[in-house]
Amino acid sequence: MTVLTLSRRGLLKGAALGLLASTAPIAVMAAAAKGGRLVVAADSEPKNLNPAIVASNGVFYIASKVIEPLAEASYDGKDGLEPRLAVSWEGAQDGRSVTFKLREGVTWHDGKPFTSADVAFSALEVWKKLQNIGRSVFANLETVETPDAATAIFRFSKPTPFQLIRNALPVATSVIPRHLYEGTDIATNPANTRLVGTGPFKFTEYKPGEYYRLTRNEAYWNKQAPLLDEIVYRVLPDRAGAGAALEAEEIQLAAFSAVPLADLARISKVAGIKVISRGYEALTYQLIVEINHRRKELADLKVRQAIAHAIDRKFVVDTIFLGYAAASTGPVPRNAPEFYTADVPTYDFDVAKANALLDEAGYKAGADGKRFSLKLLPAPYFNETRQFGAYLRQALAAIGIDAELVNNDSAAHQKAVYTDHAFDLAVAPPVFRGDPAISTTILVQSGLPAGVGFSNQGGYVSSTLDSIIAKAAETIDTDARTALYKDFQKQVVADLPLINVAEWGFITVARDTVENVPSNPRWAVSNWADTALKG
Amino acid sequence: MKRIAALLRRRAITAVPVLLIVIAATFLLLEHAPGDAVDSYLVSLGGGDAKLAAELRAQYGLDQSGFARFRLYLSALARFDLGWSVAFDRPVIDLVRERLPNTLLLMASATALSFGLGSLLGIAAGARPGSLRDRALSIGALALYAVPGFWLGLVLVLFFSVQLRWLPLAGMETIASGKQGLERALDIARHLVLPVTALGFIYLALFLRVMRSGMAEVWPLDFVLFARSKGLSRTRIVWRHVARNALLPLVTVLGLQAAAMLGGSVVIESVFAIPGFGRLAQEAVSDRDAPLLVGVILTSAVLVILVNLTVDIVYALLDPRIGSGEEGA
Amino acid sequence: MRFALRFTRSGPGLIGAVILALLALAALAAPLLFPGDPLKIAGPALTAPFTDPAFPFGTDRLGRDVLAGVFHGARASLAVGLAAAFAALAIGLVVGTLAGFAGGFIDEALMRVADAFQIVPGFLLALAFVSTLGASMPTVILAIALSAWAEPARLARAEVLSIRERDYVAAARIIGMHPLEIAFREILPNALPPVLAFAAITVAGAILTEAALSFLGLGDPNVVTWGAMIAEGRNVLRAAPFLSIIPGLALVSAVLGVYLVSEGVSDALRPREGRAA
Repeated sequence: MTVLTLSRRGLLKGAALGLLASTAPIAVMAAAAKGGRLVVAADSEPKNLNPAIVASNGVFYIASKVIEPLAEASYDGKDGLEPRLAVSWEGAQDGRSVTFKLREGVTWHDGKPFTSADVAFSALEVWKKLQNIGRSVFANLETVETPDAATAIFRFSKPTPFQLIRNALPVATSVIPRHLYEGTDIATNPANTRLVGTGPFKFTEYKPGEYYRLTRNEAYWNKQAPLLDEIVYRVLPDRAGAGAALEAEEIQLAAFSAVPLADLARISKVAGIKVISRGYEALTYQLIVEINHRRKELADLKVRQAIAHAIDRKFVVDTIFLGYAAASTGPVPRNAPEFYTADVPTYDFDVAKANALLDEAGYKAGADGKRFSLKLLPAPYFNETRQFGAYLRQALAAIGIDAELVNNDSAAHQKAVYTDHAFDLAVAPPVFRGDPAISTTILVQSGLPAGVGFSNQGGYVSSTLDSIIAKAAETIDTDARTALYKDFQKQVVADLPLINVAEWGFITVARDTVENVPSNPRWAVSNWADTALKG
Repeated sequence: MKRIAALLRRRAITAVPVLLIVIAATFLLLEHAPGDAVDSYLVSLGGGDAKLAAELRAQYGLDQSGFARFRLYLSALARFDLGWSVAFDRPVIDLVRERLPNTLLLMASATALSFGLGSLLGIAAGARPGSLRDRALSIGALALYAVPGFWLGLVLVLFFSVQLRWLPLAGMETIASGKQGLERALDIARHLVLPVTALGFIYLALFLRVMRSGMAEVWPLDFVLFARSKGLSRTRIVWRHVARNALLPLVTVLGLQAAAMLGGSVVIESVFAIPGFGRLAQEAVSDRDAPLLVGVILTSAVLVILVNLTVDIVYALLDPRIGSGEEGA
Repeated sequence: MRFALRFTRSGPGLIGAVILALLALAALAAPLLFPGDPLKIAGPALTAPFTDPAFPFGTDRLGRDVLAGVFHGARASLAVGLAAAFAALAIGLVVGTLAGFAGGFIDEALMRVADAFQIVPGFLLALAFVSTLGASMPTVILAIALSAWAEPARLARAEVLSIRERDYVAAARIIGMHPLEIAFREILPNALPPVLAFAAITVAGAILTEAALSFLGLGDPNVVTWGAMIAEGRNVLRAAPFLSIIPGLALVSAVLGVYLVSEGVSDALRPREGRAA
C-alpha cells in the first residue's frame, strides 16, 4: 500500500505541506477488495448540490462522485491533470479557442448517451452564466462548436489564456445533462438536488438532517470502478462528533478536518484509525489578514509592515494549526509550484522592529501603552480562523494596538466586511483554486463593487498591481503569464494590501479499512472511484 | 364541561393577538439583522459577483421592502400558508412536518423522564423533609441542573457510545437500514436514550424541587395529622395522602417547562445530530430565512399554547375548586 | 430584620451565601491576583494542571492561563447573571406594576406582550437576538433578560392586584398622590419579595444561557466567561478534559450557590408567601 499515513512526529519533521504532489506516487488500486458501504461524516447540507452552478468544496464533497468535470487534478499527470469526461484538450496559439476530445461510450445515470451537446450546454448556459467561478473564467466564451458527438471547440471573443482554462478544469467544468435542463429554469431545476451525472456513483437518497446515500453506477465508463457499493454521508453538525463517531466505528472516514486538530495526536494512537494529511494539495486554504485601507493608520505602509512583523508565524503554525500548516511567504501558496516564488520580501517576527515602525509612522504609545484602537473581525467558518483572531488580538496588544474582536455569524460577517466595510482588520480563509486569476487577484484588484464576497473590499488601490492583473488576464503565453504572477507576488508582499500568514490543507481521519486514500491532490472532492474497503 | 368550554373560548381569543405579536417581532428582528439570505448563500458559494447577488435578491423577493414582505406573509398566513423557505427552497410547512415529530418525540420522552423520575425522587426527598436523603437528593439534582446541556450530552456520548459502545452516538435511527415496524421503533428508542437522558436530567431538578416543597407544605395539614394520629404506616401516608396532594402544582410546572425544553432541545439536537425543530430554527437564523424562522417560532408558540391549555384542562378536571384557570384580568 | 434572621437560620441559605461570597471575592480579587488580560497567551499550549507551578490549573489550546480564566470568568459570568436578572426583574416589575395598576386595555395589551415572550422558547429568542444583533456582552445580557422578564411581570401584577385595594393604598389615594406615584412608591416595594425569590432562578439561568450561546459560537470573544471556556474545551474533551471540567465546576458551584440562597430566601419568606418557588 502506498497510502501515506503520517504520524504527528513524522509530520513535524517533514513539514506537512512541503511534501509535494510531484514526488508522491499514485495509489495502486489493483489488490483492493470490491463492494461495501463507506460511511463518512458531513458537517453541512448544501441547499443546491449542483456543482456546475455552485463550485464550492462543500458541494463537491458530495456531488463530485455523481457529476464529473472534464478533467481532474492529478499527482503525476501532465500539467497536474488527468482525464475525466475529456480525454484531451488543446489550446490554439492565438488564445481564441480550446478543443476538447471527449470520452466516448459514456452514458448518463438515466441511460441517455453523453455527447458534446451536453458540454456545450453546460458551458454556455451554466458555467458562463450561473457559476461563481465560471462567470469570470468563461466570461469571453462566445460559442461552443460540436462538429461531432466527441468533440467540443470552445471559441472566445477575446484571447483567453489556455493556462487559466486548464487550471480551472477540475473546479469549473462539471458537466450536467442537457436533456434534463434545457428549456427549464436551471437555477431551480429539481435535478439540482437529485443529481444526475456520469460519475461512478448515482445519487440515490437524501434524508435532510440525516444522510445522503450514493450507490454504485454499474454502467460507469471505467469498467474497473467503482470499488464501493455505496457511500453514505452522515450529517454530524457538531464538530466534536466526528471523532467520537470514528472511534465508535459509526463512520469510517471524516474529511476536511472534521476531527478537530487538537484531537489528532490522541486519535492517531487509537488502534484502527489513521490520520492522513495528504489529498488536499490542490485545495490549499490561506490564512490572511484583510486590511481596511480607509483607516488612515492602516493606509500607512509602515503600520501594515509593523503588523506583519508582530505576527509570530511559527506560533500560528505550531500552536493554532499544531504543525498541520506552513507559514506563508506571499499570496500564492507553495502548493502551486507552477506560480510560486520564494523571492519576495520577508517580515520576521520582531516586536521591537514593529514598535519602531509604529513610532516612525508617528503613532506613539499613550500613557496607557496604547497607540490606537481598531476592530478585528475573524471569519467564523473555521475554529482556526477564530483562534487566529484571538491570537492576533494579543499580538497587536504587544505592539500597542488595541483590537476589539467582533464575533459575527457567516451572513453578518459577509455583510460587515464585504458590503458595509465595517471593519479595520479581518481574518479570512480564501481557498487557492489552482490559478491566481480564479482565486487570488480578486483580493487585491481595485474597482470591485461593494457586496462581492471574498474580494478586495478594503479600499486598496494600486495602479501597479491593477495593471499586472489586467495584463496577466490577456497574456496567452504561459511563461510570460507565469512571470507576471511572480511579479504580482513580489509587489503584494512589498506593499501589503493584505497579510498572508499561513496556508493549510485539511486532514482526513479514517479507519484502517479504508483504502486508496488519497489518490489525487483534490481527493476529498474527487470521484472516489478507486476508494475501497478492506475485507 | 361548561367551564372548560369557556376556558377554550377565552384562550382562542387571546391567542390571536399574542401570535400576531410573535410574528411581527420575529420579522422585525430578522429585518434588523446584518446580512440577508443572499449573504448567507454567497458564503456557501465561496463568493460571487455583484450581479449574481442582485439576481438572487430579486429571485428571493428580497429587493422588496420589509413591510411589503410582511404584508405578503400575513395574507398568505391567513390562507394557512406558511410560505416558502428561501434557504431550503421548499415550502415551510413541509419542513415543519418533517422535523416536528422528531422534536416532539424527544421532548415528550424527556418530559416523561424528568416528570416521572423527578417526582419519584421528590417524593423520596419529601417523605422526610430536612433529612440527609432530602438534602443529598436536592443538591444532587441542583448540581445536575447547573451542568450545561451540551457538556452533559458529550460526556454521555463518550462514556456510553465510545467507551462502552452500548448505545448509538447520534441520529434518530440507523441510517438507511430499511428497518420497519417494531424493529424500527426499537431502533429509534435506542437512539433516543442518550439525548432524552441529557435533556431530561436537566429539568429533573425542577420537578424534584416542586414535588418536595409541595409535600413539605402538605405534611402539617390537618388531614395528614389526622391520618398519622390514626396510626397509619408512614409509607401509606406518604403515598396516599401527601404525595397525591402535592402532585397538582407539578402539572403547572409541566406547562411552564414546555417552552424551556423546546429551547433546550436546540443544543441537544445539535450535539446528537437529530434533525429536529431546534436545529431547524438555528439554521433559519444563520441562513436569515425569515419565513422559515417565523414558521418555526409560530409553530412552537402554538405548541406551547396547546400544552398549557391541556395542562389547564387537566388542572380544572383534577381540582374542581379552581376556576377557569385564568389570570383574573 | 426578621427576614435576615430567618435567612441565617436556614442551613442551605447560609451555605449558598458563603459560596457566593467566595465567588464574589474571587471576582473582585481577579484583577489583583491576575493583572492584565486573562486572554493573554501566557505559556505553552495545553499544559496539564498541577504540572507547572506557574499554571496550577494548566493552560488552554492557545496557552492561556486557566486559573486566571476561572477568576476573571467569575467576574464576567456573575456579571452576566446579575445584570441579566436585574434587567429582567426591572422590566418585569415595571411592566407588571403598570399593568396591574392601570387595568383595562393597557393591562390587556401589556399582558398579551408578556404572553408572546413567554410562549416563545427563551433560548430560541436569545439565539435569534444574539445572532442578529451581534455577540457582545450587552446583547447577550439583553437577550437573556428579554427571554426572562415575563414571569416576574406576571408575579408583580398578581401581587399588585392583591394589594391595590388595601388600606395604605387607599390612604395614599385619599391624600391625593398621583396614581403612578402610588404605583411605584407604595405598591412596588410591597410586590418585591416574591419577585426576588424568582431572581435566583434567573441568575442561574442566565449563566447557563450564556454558556449555551458560547457553545453555538455566539459569545463575546473579548471577555473570558466560564461558559466560553467550557465550550472551547469540548473540542479537546478527550485529550484535555480538565479544560472543560475546571470551569464547569466553577459554574456548578455558582449555580448551586445561587439556588441555595434562593432556597434560603423562600424558607425565610414561606409563612408570608405560602408556597415555595
